[in-house]
Amino acid sequence: MNNIALLTAFPFIIGTLLFLIPKRARGLIETVSGVTALVACLGSVRLFLVRPIESTFAYGISFVIDGLSGLALLGVTFFTLIIILYSIGFMRDHVYHRSFYVYVLWTLAASIGALAANHMIVLALFWGFLGLTLYLLIHIGGGSGAAAAAKKTFIIIGGSDAFLLFGMAIVWQAAGSWDLLGVKLPITSGLTFWAFIFFVLAAFAKAGAMPLHTWIPDCAASAPIAVTAYLPAALDKLLGIYLLARCCLDVFILNEAAHLVLLITGAVTIIAAVMMALMQHDMKKLLSYHAVSQVGYMVLGIGTGNPVGIAGGLFHMLNHAIYKCTLFLSAGSVEKKTGTTDLDHLGGLIQIIPATFVCALISSLSISGIPPFNGFVSKWMVYQGIVEMGQRGGRLWVLWLMAAMFGSALTLASFIKLLHAAYCARTTEYAEAPQREHCAMVLAMGVLAALCIVFGIFAKQLPLRFLINPILGGSDIYLGIWEPSQAGLYIGTGLLLGMFLYGALSLKKGFFRTDRTYIGGERLPESSFISGTDFYNTIKEIGVIQKIYRGAEKKYFDLYEQAKRTFSYMTELLRQMHTGVLPTYLSWVVFGLILLLWILGKNTW
Amino acid sequence: MIKGIFYFLIFPGFLFTAAMGCLSGWFDRKLTARIHWRVGPPWYQNFVDFLKLLGKEIIVPADSMRGLFLFAPVTAVIGATLLSVVLWQPNLRTDSGFLGDLIVAIYLSMIPALALIIGGMASRNPLASLGASREMKLMLAYELPFIVSIATVIIKNGYTIRLYEMVQHQAAHGAIIGSPSGFIAFIVALLCMQAKLGLVPFDIAEAETEIMGGPLVEYSGAPLGFFRLSKLMMLFAMPVFLITVFWGGIAPGALGAAVGLGKLLVILLVAVLIKNTNPRLRIDQALRFFWGPVTVLAVISILLTLAGL
Repeated sequence: MNNIALLTAFPFIIGTLLFLIPKRARGLIETVSGVTALVACLGSVRLFLVRPIESTFAYGISFVIDGLSGLALLGVTFFTLIIILYSIGFMRDHVYHRSFYVYVLWTLAASIGALAANHMIVLALFWGFLGLTLYLLIHIGGGSGAAAAAKKTFIIIGGSDAFLLFGMAIVWQAAGSWDLLGVKLPITSGLTFWAFIFFVLAAFAKAGAMPLHTWIPDCAASAPIAVTAYLPAALDKLLGIYLLARCCLDVFILNEAAHLVLLITGAVTIIAAVMMALMQHDMKKLLSYHAVSQVGYMVLGIGTGNPVGIAGGLFHMLNHAIYKCTLFLSAGSVEKKTGTTDLDHLGGLIQIIPATFVCALISSLSISGIPPFNGFVSKWMVYQGIVEMGQRGGRLWVLWLMAAMFGSALTLASFIKLLHAAYCARTTEYAEAPQREHCAMVLAMGVLAALCIVFGIFAKQLPLRFLINPILGGSDIYLGIWEPSQAGLYIGTGLLLGMFLYGALSLKKGFFRTDRTYIGGERLPESSFISGTDFYNTIKEIGVIQKIYRGAEKKYFDLYEQAKRTFSYMTELLRQMHTGVLPTYLSWVVFGLILLLWILGKNTW
Repeated sequence: MIKGIFYFLIFPGFLFTAAMGCLSGWFDRKLTARIHWRVGPPWYQNFVDFLKLLGKEIIVPADSMRGLFLFAPVTAVIGATLLSVVLWQPNLRTDSGFLGDLIVAIYLSMIPALALIIGGMASRNPLASLGASREMKLMLAYELPFIVSIATVIIKNGYTIRLYEMVQHQAAHGAIIGSPSGFIAFIVALLCMQAKLGLVPFDIAEAETEIMGGPLVEYSGAPLGFFRLSKLMMLFAMPVFLITVFWGGIAPGALGAAVGLGKLLVILLVAVLIKNTNPRLRIDQALRFFWGPVTVLAVISILLTLAGL
């Protein structure tokens, strides 16, 4: 039996069979899903190790696992496992408990199929099915918000799928084959350029690059956090960037214009989305804008077109999935504990859920690109790729570098705000006796946070060597790059010395004293505290920036909203003709009949 | 590995940077005192200040996050030390460094400020929160023109982001500061350095007279000493950074070291003079200043560079 087909069919069948288990047997549902994800994970490791594998079915339909799809496959199965682990604690009491696991397993199956498919139509089939499961998963959030968000997502993703099919048809016509691999179509004519754009649109919609990103914040606001952490944060990035990389590396040979499209999209996405994130008051929305912003780095990396940039973009895809998943999961823990993710009302959680705070801190530093965490390594590689572009001529690289590096500083700023408002701000609202955090949820976050450190410090030895390098033919592009392990050693030494010093000092009795906080010698009422949500109002109030924010608040830059407005304007015109007065309709009919007769008669006589 | 630890702890890492930082700090204090028509402290003042702080009681605020509160200052010192190690490799010609160490250096130079922010947040004092938010905004303010001025350096040094090659390139073609565009970029970087070091007029985050030291308000004893030490270390490391990328680096040998010291003193002199002749800005003024005129200046330097000047 064929391994790839088995791996695709297995989660789908088990997922469907879950419907046979009674809803109340929650433990059994969780166990079955967990074991399925674990098996899929092990299976994907096996496939990754023995790659490249190709298996052909009837009508020349083939499935291939190579370095690129193998990497994405590992990520997909791993994150499914982590999310199922987390959901044991998070989704236990949810109304749609069973449906959630069914849809997760279906998503897993469809993702594996989409990644392995070498035939374009098969890819499109799985891709479409993924849009459906995404719709269903957002829908279980319940309420009108979730329904609207699910509809918006389905329209954006589904619409981009249509473009994808169109692009595929053009490629098929030009290359004469439905295969993805080995096409290498040079972008010479206008038609192939449009085919490229159509492919890229589908990838952008999935990954959430601008201007097709608008479904992500809506989805984050109304879907359960486990779903947001699973799809927009982890899986959709892996899939979208997989498609983008596949299309840039294997399907097309990019020309200058194609590179420029990617670079501009990447740079704009980074800055615009992070500026939006800076001003959010809801933790989930803030994180979702970062899920958009980080896509910019991946697109920028792939857009550079040189090996180190592409490797950086792909590595960033993996890293992003790790830390953004952690961040969403930590937001989930906050919501579970307090019932809200509104930063204006949160605070003081540092005492209540310390383990979650540590995981959130580590992943915040990672996403902000602080050495020695993993986000730094991949961002560094993207910067390197950008500077290499400059070496080969071209003036615009300064802009891309500015966007990437300054975007990183803005990211840090918005996470300082998040950490402060949710965890450090003084508030008495949630100061009840500390309860234990759910161990499955802490375990899931802990594994990911540990990965942030390991992939950062041993970047060269582990992920780059085993996961990223093989995709680009194992070339020695990393010669002489930063050795984060050395810096890790230094930092470890420094922290140890600090620990020793404090230890030695604490030997002296009464050297550490605990006292209440000092605010000019006054005792402030407990109700007066600084939340942190308006840390950056100073920025918001600067002339031009203020105007842009106002526009964004009115959704002027939301493509979906704009399209909706245009359509409703057009239907409004039609609606005005529908007066409900019968003689008016009758005169329209007569008028139409006369017109018709006149046209027909003109040709006959 | 032993060699690496030696680099990190003794030379050019912790001990060397700390000692030079204390001396740079003394230069600052002495010069400021002379401008004020005072006598000023003896040369060892910063050393004894640090040692005295180590011997003082450590007060931890009641509902802070203890571990983070105590280790944030340690991280600040580690960050400054790492920055120094990365910067001195090309200057000492001991090691050709690695590709892209320029970017690593930029990011390492952010760590002391970041540690201050996180330490302030962990102390959970409202004044510290205010200070932390100001520090973060200040970081955003100077980071933009700083990156642009660094882009000038990258172009002028023949598109390299390796510090060692930058020093070599300048040795062969003359220091970047010598060209009009390079000089403008240097001025921009100098202003950014002033803000990075938290010197007046950009000491907005600490502002003793407004928010009582901001993030430092709860700190005492050894942790306070570490933060103060990290500031002094940065007072030495940041000028070295500017010298390395803009001003030809520091040549080996006694003569080279003397010239290097001269360059360091010139940069410090400018910084201290700015510090003593300007009142503190408000944070929104600082934001407008850096995103407005300073960024425009940096963009002009880029345009001049691309025009070949």
